[in-house]
Amino acid sequence: VSNRRRNIFILVFVALLVVGSAIVVATKTTTLGLDLNGGTRLIFQARPTPQNPTIDGSDIDRSIEIIRKRTDAFGVSEPEISRIGSDEIQVGLPDVSNASRAEQDVGKTAQLYFYDWEPNVIPNPVKTNVPNGEADFSRLYDAVRFASKQTPECFENKCTTTGPQYYLFDSRTHAWIAGPSQVKEDLFAQLHGQTQPPNSVILSVPQGTLVVEEGPNGQAAPDDFNSPDAHWFVIRDRPALSGTDIKDPKPNTDDLGQPIVTFSFTDTGRQEFSDVTKAISERGLQNAPPGVAGNSQLADQYSGHFAIVLDQQVTSRPIVNFVENPNGIDGRNGAEINGLSAQESRDLSQILQIGALPVTLDPISSETVSATLGQQALDQGLKAGIVGLILVVLFLLAYYRFLGFVAVLGLAIYGLFFFALIKLIPITLTLPGIAGLILTIGVAADANIIIFERIKEEARGGKSMLSAISAGYRRGIATIIDANVITLITAFILFALATANVKGFAFTLGVGTIASLFTAVVFTQAFLGQFGRARFMRSPTALGASPEQRVRWHFDFTGLSKYFFSVSGVILLIGALGFATKQLNLGIDFEGGSRITVGLEKAATVDEVRSTVEAAGISAPEVTRAVNNELGTNVFDVDSKASPAEVRSVQPALQSQYGIVPNGFNATTVGPTFGEQVAKSAIYAIVFSLLVICGYVAFRFEPKYAVPVIIAVIHDVLITGGVYSLTGREVTSGTVAAFLTILGYSLYDTVIVFDRVRENVPRLPRATFSQIVNRSMSEVLTRSLITGLSSVFLVTVLYIFGGATLQDFAFAMMIGLLSGTYSSIFIASPVLTHWKEREPAYRRRRERIEEQMGGIVPAFPEENLVAREGGPEEPVRAETPIPAAPAPSRSQVPGVVPEPPGPVAPPPPPEPPERREPSVPAGAPLEGDGHGGGEGEGPAGGDGKPDVGDEIAEPDRPELSEASAAALRRLREQRGGGRQRKRKKHGRNR
Amino acid sequence: MAALVWFTMGVALWHFTVFVPDRFRGGIVGAFLGATAGAMVSGAAAQIALGKGIGETDIATAVYAIPGIVMGLAVVYAMGVRAGVEAERI
Repeated sequence: VSNRRRNIFILVFVALLVVGSAIVVATKTTTLGLDLNGGTRLIFQARPTPQNPTIDGSDIDRSIEIIRKRTDAFGVSEPEISRIGSDEIQVGLPDVSNASRAEQDVGKTAQLYFYDWEPNVIPNPVKTNVPNGEADFSRLYDAVRFASKQTPECFENKCTTTGPQYYLFDSRTHAWIAGPSQVKEDLFAQLHGQTQPPNSVILSVPQGTLVVEEGPNGQAAPDDFNSPDAHWFVIRDRPALSGTDIKDPKPNTDDLGQPIVTFSFTDTGRQEFSDVTKAISERGLQNAPPGVAGNSQLADQYSGHFAIVLDQQVTSRPIVNFVENPNGIDGRNGAEINGLSAQESRDLSQILQIGALPVTLDPISSETVSATLGQQALDQGLKAGIVGLILVVLFLLAYYRFLGFVAVLGLAIYGLFFFALIKLIPITLTLPGIAGLILTIGVAADANIIIFERIKEEARGGKSMLSAISAGYRRGIATIIDANVITLITAFILFALATANVKGFAFTLGVGTIASLFTAVVFTQAFLGQFGRARFMRSPTALGASPEQRVRWHFDFTGLSKYFFSVSGVILLIGALGFATKQLNLGIDFEGGSRITVGLEKAATVDEVRSTVEAAGISAPEVTRAVNNELGTNVFDVDSKASPAEVRSVQPALQSQYGIVPNGFNATTVGPTFGEQVAKSAIYAIVFSLLVICGYVAFRFEPKYAVPVIIAVIHDVLITGGVYSLTGREVTSGTVAAFLTILGYSLYDTVIVFDRVRENVPRLPRATFSQIVNRSMSEVLTRSLITGLSSVFLVTVLYIFGGATLQDFAFAMMIGLLSGTYSSIFIASPVLTHWKEREPAYRRRRERIEEQMGGIVPAFPEENLVAREGGPEEPVRAETPIPAAPAPSRSQVPGVVPEPPGPVAPPPPPEPPERREPSVPAGAPLEGDGHGGGEGEGPAGGDGKPDVGDEIAEPDRPELSEASAAALRRLREQRGGGRQRKRKKHGRNR
Repeated sequence: MAALVWFTMGVALWHFTVFVPDRFRGGIVGAFLGATAGAMVSGAAAQIALGKGIGETDIATAVYAIPGIVMGLAVVYAMGVRAGVEAERI
């Protein structure tokens, strides 16, 4: 297939894809995440139950299935339920704003047990004037303390716990803090520092004894264990039936119209129910004094109870009247649970119908975003994306002209493909996902920049436009693939290891990178190949490739690296002092706690809001005014260490006091265990990405190239962290995403520089490594600056328009971009230079050049005496003169005029092949031993071999430094005509 | 957090080794390892000796790393010089 046919085929294929994508975009809806759409996100940690003392994957899968059924039953559309790690479940509920109810509905274990009440109650010894079955405790502490003195015993192997249950109390006030829990350490999981707080006491209730809660006068038991409405019973854990013995639970109403849940029994359950109620009835009859047997009303006070206990709360305790039911209740009519609200009866019946969870789910994080804030975030993200895109487009058009137009066309097609993919897969679009999307615009633009810079180099080297385009793509593709593989590895590892928010970012980054590779490489190449013969394409000026448009760099990067190292060292020292004195301001994502953003209807001061929040039970809240036009003029942020239950109490308090604007209550609560997990997953992601990427770099380049890559990344992450520490900005999970992007970006940039170094090594077989690096960096610096600039455009736009979350991300990215660009040039490459120059081969080259140049090693290979002397008589190309003389390299002593080299030794004899550096491929164009050509090939020979059919570019011959020029003059005088003979003798292909 | 401080100190001071003749064992990378390892060891030793927790940091935490960095660099330098002398003998 000819190139022309292939190009036409690709263009037609792309056109078809564009049409298909347009149809998808027009017809499919976009799935928006909770942060953009509004809703509630809950994260639960699974704990063992008596039935499941150890949790395995199947328990979590079963729990997810049950949760899904529950959310379906509750009418939640498109819930996102996923597993995190080994024992956590994330539940995203779009459009659900009541986190409290969602938590109850989704996470309720629904362990239902039925007890023959009186024989199992262990009466409060203080209450001697009431029947045993009513001898309760008014405080949980008293009940637990009494229960803790019971003997461990699993009655008839029916107990519902696998061991003791632990409770944590304030040792002074005896207020409940945490529990019950079957693992002592779990008591502290929701507490700050995850250690036992001072002035607290742990009590344990032995297996076989339970402390159960009952609400007042048949009402539901309050969730707050310190509530004065709650009262407590200590019972023997000897249930008669369990939740598996019931069927067909339904919401209903009793005779008084009160909501109840009715259910019937399974065959086994009915028999057991019948037996136990008969036993209760007979016992009532035995206890009743003579004469009561015929009086149903009087019989009530002597009859026993049958208690229904759901998750250690007595939901119902009906009397089994021995007059009305002398043979017990046969269970054909089922039973009922009362003391519920209408909503609760509906929810409970659903939960019982679906079945109990095989594990206990503890809520460790919850987040509620109102639809208003979600819409605002979406608008901000889209605005940032559009403005960023426009800036990049303008920049590409201005700098690359027609090539820029092609790139913009590629970007537009990329944008369409990507949007179609988002809808088609579908990818749930979140705020971090939008950040990833915007960054992929930068990645897509960069792929074009790399290739266009190559094309321009080739065009300036004298090639025709078609040749230049062909060579530019051929040589740029390896760099692009290497750099994008790095990005993909980072995205993949982020997706695999990081937490939910970061996952969205990683996924869009990964998909976007693949899509951008297609449009930036395949499409633009076909387009340019097809139109490369057009008349206007013959003018290098139209492509921004005329010689006068060239930005040339002639800078001794490695020689001056010590000064850049010093700057970095000082910045890092300041950063270290920042870490030491100011530490990092870790947000609630890491430290746990809660953040409420609330818009109030009535005006209030910070102090007033603080008082209301404190009165609602939250200790030491940090209240600040916030600006958010969507939530009105009275917007407050409330940060605290409150638990999800405590946060729930704030909303009614603020509502009653000041009123809350519609959709004006947004709360995020993160448990400390989850925060720790976020931090751990971030560290794992960073370390693992580094290891894998280093492996890749070592494989694609050589192992020594991998170490500077790591050092440069460490440099960037520490500098960014130091800036965060010094500025006191909050580190959030968005910052982690940004850190990881910095890592990817820094690696990407370093790989592009190293790729050129690798390419130049075989082309400059007599140059020192520092000269090779200087040459390489002078060639790629323009690309690095342009890419850096276009990325900074995007990040700045994110910072300005992106809203709070994207601003966090953008700030870290901005610092990281600057640091990453800097480190790839001034840290990674000099470290590589220092290390490689210790190799015997490069040491010999350096010694040889120093010997010939009187102790000087010029910054660039074309300044080497042998190169100068051997080339055509001063064949300096008619290009823009180098404005500044190259600075002396590291080995040159500043201010010291080198001694005349004296009689210059003849050029060293040709090294036998086995002594050559292995990186020099056979047949590679070698640097002439004073024979010109080799060192100044420009862009040609990127693979170390001359291009067949391509014109070899003329060498760049910059002006010499004064020292080099002086040494050269002296050498020429001393050598006289002898050089010409030697040149003939040794030849350029020596 | 203290470990981050020591490590950052090690990396920061390592940058200045470019002013020292490159005789470190393993070159600039050997110096990097010496500086960071020394920083961590000396920082941890001081923190433990003073009975401070890993999360407690102040300006002194940064200073604790310095002796270790200097010693780490000195050890790597001495190893490099020794290796160089031996190589010359051979």
